[in-house]
Amino acid sequence: MTVSARNGMGGGQATVTLAERWYVPAEVRALRAWIPFALLVNLIILGGEALRGGGTAQLAVLGGIVLLAVLWWSLPDGRQQWRRTASQGLAAAILVLGVLLLLLKDGDFYDLWASSWLIAPSALALYWLSTGLSGSWCAGDSDPRSAELGLARNRRLGPRLETFALHTLLLHAVALIVAPAVWIVDLSISPGNILGGAIGDAFTLEHFWAVLGGETFWRWTRNSLIVALGTTLVGLLLAIPAGYAFSRYRFAGRKGAMFVFMLIQMFPGIVILVPYFMVMKTLGLLNTSIGLIIAYSVTALPLCVWMLKGFFDAVPRALEEAALLDGCTQVGVFVFVVLPLSLPAVAITALFSFLTAWNEFLLALVFNTSNDSYTLPVGLASMIPATGQLWGDFAAASIIVSIPVVVLFVLFQRALIQGLSAGSVKG
Amino acid sequence: MTRHRPDIGAAALLLFGATAGVHAQQVSVDDAAQAYRQIQIDVSYAPSDAIAGFQVWYSSEAFETTRDAELHSTVSVADTTDLERVPGDAVFERCWSDGLPIHRDAAGNPVVSTAATEWSCALTGMTPGAGQWIAVVPVDAEGAPLVDPERLQPVVGRTDVPDERTPPPDTRPVLYALGMVALSAIVLLSFLRWQDVGRGRAKSRLAHIYVAPALIALATLTFYPILYGMWLAFTNADQSRLGDEAWIGLANFATVFASSGLWRVTLFTFVWAVSNVFAHVFLGLVLAVVLNRRGLRGRTVYRTILLLPWAIPGYISVLAWNGMLQPDGLVNAFLGTAIDFFAGANSARSVVILVNIWLGVPFMMMVLSGALQALPSNMYEAAKIDGVSRWDQFRYLTFPNLKGTLVPVSLLSFIWTFNTFNTIYLLTRGNPYVGFGEPGATDTLITYVFAVAFEYGRYGVAAAWSVLIFLMLVGFSWLYLKRTRAMEAAA
Repeated sequence: MTVSARNGMGGGQATVTLAERWYVPAEVRALRAWIPFALLVNLIILGGEALRGGGTAQLAVLGGIVLLAVLWWSLPDGRQQWRRTASQGLAAAILVLGVLLLLLKDGDFYDLWASSWLIAPSALALYWLSTGLSGSWCAGDSDPRSAELGLARNRRLGPRLETFALHTLLLHAVALIVAPAVWIVDLSISPGNILGGAIGDAFTLEHFWAVLGGETFWRWTRNSLIVALGTTLVGLLLAIPAGYAFSRYRFAGRKGAMFVFMLIQMFPGIVILVPYFMVMKTLGLLNTSIGLIIAYSVTALPLCVWMLKGFFDAVPRALEEAALLDGCTQVGVFVFVVLPLSLPAVAITALFSFLTAWNEFLLALVFNTSNDSYTLPVGLASMIPATGQLWGDFAAASIIVSIPVVVLFVLFQRALIQGLSAGSVKG
Repeated sequence: MTRHRPDIGAAALLLFGATAGVHAQQVSVDDAAQAYRQIQIDVSYAPSDAIAGFQVWYSSEAFETTRDAELHSTVSVADTTDLERVPGDAVFERCWSDGLPIHRDAAGNPVVSTAATEWSCALTGMTPGAGQWIAVVPVDAEGAPLVDPERLQPVVGRTDVPDERTPPPDTRPVLYALGMVALSAIVLLSFLRWQDVGRGRAKSRLAHIYVAPALIALATLTFYPILYGMWLAFTNADQSRLGDEAWIGLANFATVFASSGLWRVTLFTFVWAVSNVFAHVFLGLVLAVVLNRRGLRGRTVYRTILLLPWAIPGYISVLAWNGMLQPDGLVNAFLGTAIDFFAGANSARSVVILVNIWLGVPFMMMVLSGALQALPSNMYEAAKIDGVSRWDQFRYLTFPNLKGTLVPVSLLSFIWTFNTFNTIYLLTRGNPYVGFGEPGATDTLITYVFAVAFEYGRYGVAAAWSVLIFLMLVGFSWLYLKRTRAMEAAA
C-alpha cells in the first residue's frame, strides 16, 4: 500500500519487487491504527481532568494529545530516516510527559489508568521504532528476500497485535459494564448506608437479613409474582391462537390486523397512561393485581403474537397435512400437533412476557398508590427517595431480584434475541 | 376506612426532648386549617447553628422511631437571600415562615432562613378522614438527627373529611363503552368471516375465531383508551373531577402551546433520542464486529458480560447509576472529586444520556451480531484472497450489507428511546428545577406528561400533550414502516 520513495529515483535501478513495495512492518501499521485511538481516549481523559480541575494535569494531557497527533503524522512512511528520528523523539517526549503526569498526581487508580494511556502507546512506539528491523526498513536497505521474510513475519505478528488491541478495547468495555454490578455488590455487603468507601473494605450480611427478614420485600415479591404469572397466562391464552392464525391461515383482514399489531408496539405507553389510569380508577382496579395483569397482558400482546407467528412459521406444514389426512380436525391439529411441537417457542414467549411484567415500572408506579400493592420495581425504587435513602438494603434487594432474571437471560439469550427480532426488526 | 380513630382535641401540643445544642422544639397541629387530604402543622423552635433542616415523618399508626414511619418532606434551614418566595398555592406543600410563603431552592424544596423561629406546612397526600401521627426531627448538615430518632413522640392530626367512604364512581359509562368497543370488534370479525366464506375460503373459517380474543382485548384495552385519551384532551378532567369532566374545546391545547417549556422540552427529547440512537448503533456495531471475529479468545465470556445491562432489570441499573453518580458515589471516588452531576442542567442532561447509552448498547450489539452472522462467509474469504484490508472489508462489504438491518433498527431504537421513561424518572425526575409547572431541565416529553398528569393532577392537559406525542409517533412509525417495507421490497 505504501508507495516507496525509491520509485521516482534513479531510473536505471533494478525495479522494486511487489514485496518490497508492500512491506511495512506490522508494528508500524499497528501504531498507525492505534495512535488515533489513544488520542481519542486522551480526549476523554482531558474531559476527566477538566472535571477534576487540575490545571497542570490538564496542560500535560493536552500536550500529550498534541504530541500524539504530531507523532501520528510523522510516523515513518517508507524510507525516510528523519521521520524515524523525529517519531522517536516525539515518543520519548510523550513518555516523559506520561511519567511526569503519574508522578504529579497522588497515584490512585484513575491516575494510573489515565497516564498509562500516554505511557503505553509512547513506550511501544519508542521500542518498535528503535528495533533493528524498523531501523533497516526506514534506512531503505531492503532487498526482495528480506521483504518477503518481513511479509511472512507480518502475517504471523499482525493478527496477534490486532488481538491485543481488541482485548484492550473489550476489557475497557467490560470494566464499564461491570462497574455498577461490582459497586452494587460492594454496597450490599458494606455496613450502613454510605455510598463511598473502598471496594471490598468490609463485610456484613446485615442488609440481606434486613431485606429478607422484613415483611415488605416478601409482599412486593408476592405481588410481582402474581402479576407476572397472571400476565404470562392471560397473554399466552390470547397470543397463541392469534399467532397460529397469522402463521397458517390467509383470511380477510389478515394484513390489516398484522399491521395493527405492529403499529401498537411503537406507541408510547404514556399516550394511553392517563386514560388507562382513569378507566382503572373508575372500575376500582387501582392497587389490585388484576388491573396490572390486564394492562400488561395487552401491552405485551403484539410482540408475543409476532414472536409466536415467527416460531409457528418454522414448524413444517407437512405434519399438519398428514394429521388432517388421517382425519384429525383443524382444531385437533393445532392443539395436538403444532402446539406440542412448538412448546419450546411457547416457553420462550412465556419467559419474555413474564420478564416484561416482572421488570415493568411505569404502569406499576401509576396504578399502585399503596405500599401494600407495590410490585418489586416500584418497591425497590421507593427505597431510594430524595432523602433517607436505604442504599445498602436497596443493593441487597437488587441482587436478590436480579440473580434469577440474569440467569434466565443468559441461558436463553439467543432464543430471546431471535424471538424479539422476529417480532420487531423483520417486520 | 380507618381503624385508628385518634382522639385529637387535647393532644395537639407536644414537646420534644432537647439534646445537646438543640433547644426545645414545639410541634403542633393546627386544627382550624385542616383540609381534604391535608394536615397543617406548625413548628416553632429556638434557632441553633446545629439545625440544618427538619424532616417530617408520618405514619398511620403510632410510632417511636423513624424506621416505623415514612418521610413526608424535608425543610432545610439556610441562607435565603438569593432565593425567591413561592406562593403557597403554586406548590404541593403549602409552607409559610414568618407569616409569608416560604422560600424555595432551585429544586423547589422549601427553605427557611437561619433567623426564623417558626414555620408551618400543609402536609398533603394524607388519607382523608384518618388519623396521622406526625413527628418533626431536626437534622444537622449531614442529615443526622439531632434528637434521638428512637424516641419520637409524634403529634396526631386528622384531615377534615369525615370518616365515610366516597361513593364508588359510576362504572356504567366505562363498561358501556368497553362493551360497545368489544361488540364492534366482534361485528367486524363476523363481517370479515362472512366475506371469506363468500370467497370460498372454507379452510380459514377458524382463523377469525383464533384472532378474536386477542383483537377484542386490543380493541377494548388499547384502541378504546387511545380514543378516550383523545376525548380527555378536550375536557377539563383533573384530579378532583373523575367521571364528570366537561368539554372545554381547545383550551388544553392552548395551554400546551402557550407553555414556555414546550420548545425546550421537545428539543431535548430529540437531542436525547438522536444522540442515544447514534451511540447505540455506533458502539453496538463496533462491539458486534469485534465479537464477530473468529478465533478471538474468550468471545463467549465477553459476549455474556457485555449482555449484562440488557439482562439486569433496567430500573435496578438506573438506580445503581444514580447512586454511583452521587457526590460520594463511585464515579466521584474514581475521579477523586465530589461533583454533583445532577446539579447543573447540562451536566444532568449529559449524565442521563450517557446512562441510557449504557443501557441500550447490548441490545443493539446482539441484534447487529445476529445480522453479521447471517452475512455469507464466502464473501469475506474472497475478500481475504484478494488482499482486502480489514477496514476496507468493513467499509465495502459489511456496512453496505448491514444497511438493510441498520435503518429499521435505528428507527425502532429512536422510537423506543423517545418513549423511554424509567431512565430519566429514576435518575433526575426531570430536575434540575427550572420553574414551577415548567418541564425540568432533563424532562423529555414523556416524563413531563407524567408529571403533568400525576404530580400536578391535570389529566386534561396531560391528555393534550399525549395527543401531540401521539401525532409525532405516528409520523415516525409511518417512516419506519415505509422504510422497512422498502427494505423488504429491495431484498
